[in-house]
Amino acid sequence: MEIVQIIINSLIRASELSLLALGLTMVFDILKFANFAHTDYALLGAFLAYSFSQALGLPLIVSVMIAAGLTGLFGIGIDKVLYKRLRTIGVQPVSLMIVSMGVEIALRNILRLIWSSETKTYPIAVVKPLEILGARITMLQLEIITVGFLSMVAFHILLHKTTFGKALRAISDNRALASACAIDSEKMIRWMWFIASAYGVIGGTMIAMEHVLYPRLGFNILIPVFCAAILGGIGNPYGAVLGALILAFAENVVLALDLKWLLNLGGLFHFESIQINTGYKPAVSFLILILVLLFKPTGLLRKE
Amino acid sequence: MLKVKDLQKKFGNLRALDGVSIEVEADSVVGLIGPNGSGKSTLFNVVSGFYEKDGGEVYFKGERIDGLTPDAIAKKGLCRTFQIAKAPERLTVLENMLLAAEGQVAENPISALFARRRIARVERKNLEKAMDLLEILKLTELMNEYAGDLSGGQKKLLSLGRVFMRNPDMILLDEPTAGVNPTLTTQLIKVIRELQKKEHKSVLIIEHSMKVISSICDKVFVLNYGQVIAEGTPEEIQKNDKVLEAYLGGV
Amino acid sequence: MTIVNFLIYFLIMVGIYALLAMSLNLQVGYAGLINFGQVVFFCIGAYTSSLLATKTGLPLLFCFLLAMIVSGFFGYVMSIPTKSLKSDYWAIATLAAAEVFRLVALNEGWLTGGPFGVMSIPQPLRFLFSMENYPLFYLFLVTLCVIIVFFALALITDSPFGRDLKAIREEEDLCLSLGKNTRKLKLEAMVVGGMVGGLAGALFAHYVTFISPENFWPIETFLLWAMIIVGGRGNHAGAILGAALIQIFNVSTRFIGEYVSLGSDSMASLRMVIIGFLIIIFVSYRPEGIIKEKKKVYDPRNIR
Repeated sequence: MEIVQIIINSLIRASELSLLALGLTMVFDILKFANFAHTDYALLGAFLAYSFSQALGLPLIVSVMIAAGLTGLFGIGIDKVLYKRLRTIGVQPVSLMIVSMGVEIALRNILRLIWSSETKTYPIAVVKPLEILGARITMLQLEIITVGFLSMVAFHILLHKTTFGKALRAISDNRALASACAIDSEKMIRWMWFIASAYGVIGGTMIAMEHVLYPRLGFNILIPVFCAAILGGIGNPYGAVLGALILAFAENVVLALDLKWLLNLGGLFHFESIQINTGYKPAVSFLILILVLLFKPTGLLRKE
Repeated sequence: MLKVKDLQKKFGNLRALDGVSIEVEADSVVGLIGPNGSGKSTLFNVVSGFYEKDGGEVYFKGERIDGLTPDAIAKKGLCRTFQIAKAPERLTVLENMLLAAEGQVAENPISALFARRRIARVERKNLEKAMDLLEILKLTELMNEYAGDLSGGQKKLLSLGRVFMRNPDMILLDEPTAGVNPTLTTQLIKVIRELQKKEHKSVLIIEHSMKVISSICDKVFVLNYGQVIAEGTPEEIQKNDKVLEAYLGGV
Repeated sequence: MTIVNFLIYFLIMVGIYALLAMSLNLQVGYAGLINFGQVVFFCIGAYTSSLLATKTGLPLLFCFLLAMIVSGFFGYVMSIPTKSLKSDYWAIATLAAAEVFRLVALNEGWLTGGPFGVMSIPQPLRFLFSMENYPLFYLFLVTLCVIIVFFALALITDSPFGRDLKAIREEEDLCLSLGKNTRKLKLEAMVVGGMVGGLAGALFAHYVTFISPENFWPIETFLLWAMIIVGGRGNHAGAILGAALIQIFNVSTRFIGEYVSLGSDSMASLRMVIIGFLIIIFVSYRPEGIIKEKKKVYDPRNIR
């Protein structure tokens, strides 16, 4: 594959992953547990967006916005019913993680119950892809990169210019101190769930638009998203973006790589062109995740 | 017995330990005092291997132990307690005592399967020892309670009990009497003292109560801002101006 | 299928899952190791034994033993990062590791048959029994394994070793301060867990005589989690009870499915929704499960 194509594909993938990793890293940092249902929230939103555009005939972008808002509320609702109670009775974060695994299983199958396991595609007109420096990119993909970038900018502003952002950073730094400064952490946690879930919906919908939508998709992207968040350093939103970028490039480069040179040991042997089986594409993120956890579990960027 | 040379520990920009050197002779009880945040618990954590040092050396019985893992240090006979007493919630008081016992067999699955007789024999011996200690600590009534259900003070007593079960050559005690009622505190001091007399253990003890310190310590080190600012007998320390200043300045 | 045959099949499956649940329970309930990749032992055990049997024709007893050894070895590998990783990171890593194995099974067709799996796996002592009687013999074999494993694990956990594991589960630093090599203890728990899981895998493969990557989705791990959460962690009877209950639930919904006009896909989703809810409800409101961990009470009169 051409280098330009690899860069473009990686940027698309990174835009999608980073929007999902942002929410995951926030929840992990503030509530100290890995939310296994995070990508399923995103899928709930993606399905809602699908239905709004199909059944109500709303424009896709409007559907996604409404779906993101509703899923944000859903995130708050789940927190209220499940996690808040467990937080107040002071159970260990590990139990929250196990509960979130239960939510993952239940939610994924509720999606399957409502929308069935058949794959779905969004009503997007197929247009001839543009050509940039010999690489192909569709309008949709261009939009994904743009939306991804704009969402990141919006998040940056949110984090630095709003009370919510400042409070969130304060809680992340030192919870005891934050509550001493009369920051209503429960309110901030509600906002955090809203934003985490809504951002996830945008990322999840983008992935589903580019490929197809089906209930298992949430679980399938769970590990790549974890990988991006942990690689970047839990608790650092910029780290999540960086992690998503690195992971996206790794996924695309490893599969494009020709291992001939490596195996022939500089001329010792004469293997034909050898490439890694594309069936291993998901394994790239798994392996990076395992390697990061083994050698640098704190991730690349520290918390600010 | 224990020799700490120029120990350094930084947390970010904070020098928690800034060149601390102390020495605990064999067969002695040494106190470690200082205002909150002066680095006492950090010193314990570095010496016992829970924190990595940033510089300096630690010798125990003439052997260098800095850089070893906490369990390796404990195995060499240097045992500690924690400021906030740890107590495995769903192990009973008696199980806690047995957990700590020295010279256990079958701490692996193979012998757990095939050395049942030996296990029973050793467990029995340890049980007797545990019961004796629980009596001294006034915890006999609670022997079958979950440690998680104990009060803070009782957990402190239990952690002492565990250390005695472990029977190390030297004990690091982190505020052993905090949260323990006064009668029991007197009792505790007596126990520590007796144990030290009888078995010639060395003890390094972090304490806030000057009363406790003066009643059991042969020598006291005073820490402030990660440095040793004074050392001497409890009487000398109480008269030391620098020490008074450190404490009053802290207020 | 007659009702008796079905009952035998059902009991064999309960037995196999009981083994897996006991193995998971040793890791989770005793040592506090949050293993989200338990299915990997099942997978490795099944593939090792069936590949050895079909490709080398080794006596089946050795295939079973090697399956346990290889699986136990992988338990050792998985335990390596427990030293440096927080429990939720390790949980994510185990999930990823299990998926890597499934992908290997799926993609390395030359070894594993890829998506077609391993077929015609020989059955132990098949020639001694008639077609009708063989399942009965297999039930006997599985039951024997369950009984042996149950008593072996009971001996292991009712020993200073088991006490150490429980202490690690609750206060690892304390164990270190008492001179316990917690890394070694966790390693041993993982190896024993791996061996029992591998045994279950081998029993499964040689019973169904056909395995493919389809048998080893991560959802199997979560079913096992549901079993130990419902049955009760920290005691072996709880794991067996949980395995039986969840299997009864699975089967009964399958029967109900024949009378309710839901499609099989919907029925399967509904089943998993309920499993998810069971996990959530039990962890939130009855974390100890149906059978509570037994307190070890000593009678003071017996001590002196």
